[in-house]
Amino acid sequence: MNSRRVMAAGAVGLAVFALLWELLVRALDVKPFILLAPTRIASELADRPSYYLGAMGVTARHAVLGLAIAIAGALLLGALLSTSRFLEHAVQPVLMLILVAPWVAYFASIVVWLGRGDPPVIFLVAFVTTPAYVFATVAGLRSADPDAREVLRSVDASRAEVLLRLRLPSALPALLATSRYGAALALAAAYYGEGGNLTSVGLGAIGRRAASAQSGAVLWASVVATVLLGVALLVAIAAIERVALRWHVSQRRAPHDDGGDRGAVTPPA
Amino acid sequence: MRHRGPIPDRPVASAGVGRAEFAIELRETSRRFGRTEALAPIDLTVAPGEVVTVLGPSGSGKTTLLRIVGGLVAPTTGTVLVDGVAPEQARSTKRIGFVPQRPALLPWRTVRQNARLLLDVNRGAGPASGTSPDHLLGQVGLLDFADAYPHELSGGMQQRVSLARTLALGAPVLLLDEPFAALDEITRTDMRHLLAEVSEPLQTTILFVTHSIAEAVFLSDRVLVLSSRPGRIVGEELVDLPRPRHAGLEDEPAFFALERRLRALLHAGMGR
Repeated sequence: MNSRRVMAAGAVGLAVFALLWELLVRALDVKPFILLAPTRIASELADRPSYYLGAMGVTARHAVLGLAIAIAGALLLGALLSTSRFLEHAVQPVLMLILVAPWVAYFASIVVWLGRGDPPVIFLVAFVTTPAYVFATVAGLRSADPDAREVLRSVDASRAEVLLRLRLPSALPALLATSRYGAALALAAAYYGEGGNLTSVGLGAIGRRAASAQSGAVLWASVVATVLLGVALLVAIAAIERVALRWHVSQRRAPHDDGGDRGAVTPPA
Repeated sequence: MRHRGPIPDRPVASAGVGRAEFAIELRETSRRFGRTEALAPIDLTVAPGEVVTVLGPSGSGKTTLLRIVGGLVAPTTGTVLVDGVAPEQARSTKRIGFVPQRPALLPWRTVRQNARLLLDVNRGAGPASGTSPDHLLGQVGLLDFADAYPHELSGGMQQRVSLARTLALGAPVLLLDEPFAALDEITRTDMRHLLAEVSEPLQTTILFVTHSIAEAVFLSDRVLVLSSRPGRIVGEELVDLPRPRHAGLEDEPAFFALERRLRALLHAGMGR
């Protein structure tokens, strides 16, 4: 299937999903707070576009800043851990604990520690997304072709050169794959953090207030706005993959007719 | 022993050539891995500009021998000198060109960028007097593919890029570790002809490791035969064929005679 047909199929699937949702809500007369029909969510968003767009901007900032901090920290920590199996095994359980700890429960403590506003939200996002990035970094750096390492060794390339020219590019596919999962987790953490942080703005704060006020329209509008933000993040990650990983096997479009990658005989244009 | 004569209008590959009496010198060099003796103590000298092939069955320690010379494995006993210095020092001054079994190209670099790789790292070390990567890509017939990525090339083409990458260093000593072992028979034959064509004018010292008798005869001035583990030198043949070597040689009686003698040595070394 070519990419146009893939996109068409996806659009059909979404349209059918929305149609069923709409019909179900109307046919069963579901209360707005439990589930709101797509057309009513759309009209709520269209009524106050700047209100929701502003909140999306705040949430996007929280999620992206948190992710950036997580990636930067994970690269440093991962590069350090990949130099020693002992260090890796010493730190791994701690990262596992962070990964499985219920952040919904301990967020109140972070607010007490860091105060209200952006810092606790950004901290939460960075904290919960860091472990997966560290695992990806360690595995990615270690995945570097040992024969290529030997070639670099044969001219006495420095550790920094090997890291920059071989190991970091080798880790890129794993880092970008982790980013799909990381983006979803970052949005969830940002949404929850904003809601649990009384002075913060953002989609999570809107959602929390709507939940207290039993306002189904606003609550569901904030949910859909968050979903749109997530889709935008995933599209951005896919675009980065397309450019940064054009050499990688995952980005090759048409497989060669012999089923392998050894068949090319014509120079590229 | 027939050495290749200098070609006057070509610069010598490196100032290092001719400085030491031997380009490669091993004295009582051996290696064990745990309890396994991979390589029995070996004496081996290679003159500057000489092409020597180490021929041996799998597990004869020939790759270990090459890695010892390249400073990638330390010998258990004995001494090693490359271009008059310890292998580690030769490595850090970029005097060793290493061609591994697999091309090991970096997939995110284009063919041209891969051919430049060894020039881009450890820039402080000489000699940067090698042939330009683009010229070498032309010699191996890949200039049209300079902007392609490795996955767009066949296995033989990738190995040609690997060869250009190493030759671009202009190192006085080349170590080739069964570089054509993974290729099909037709491509292999082409590759040994290409290697002779590209390397003969360079006057580089070459230590070549293979289990292909035809490759050994076609490329070498001298062939050493290693026995099964632990590897010992069981015989040596001088290859008195004229240079430049050309494909037609492989149909001549002298070529067959050498192949036959080497095969006999190889089998003797394997205890058959």
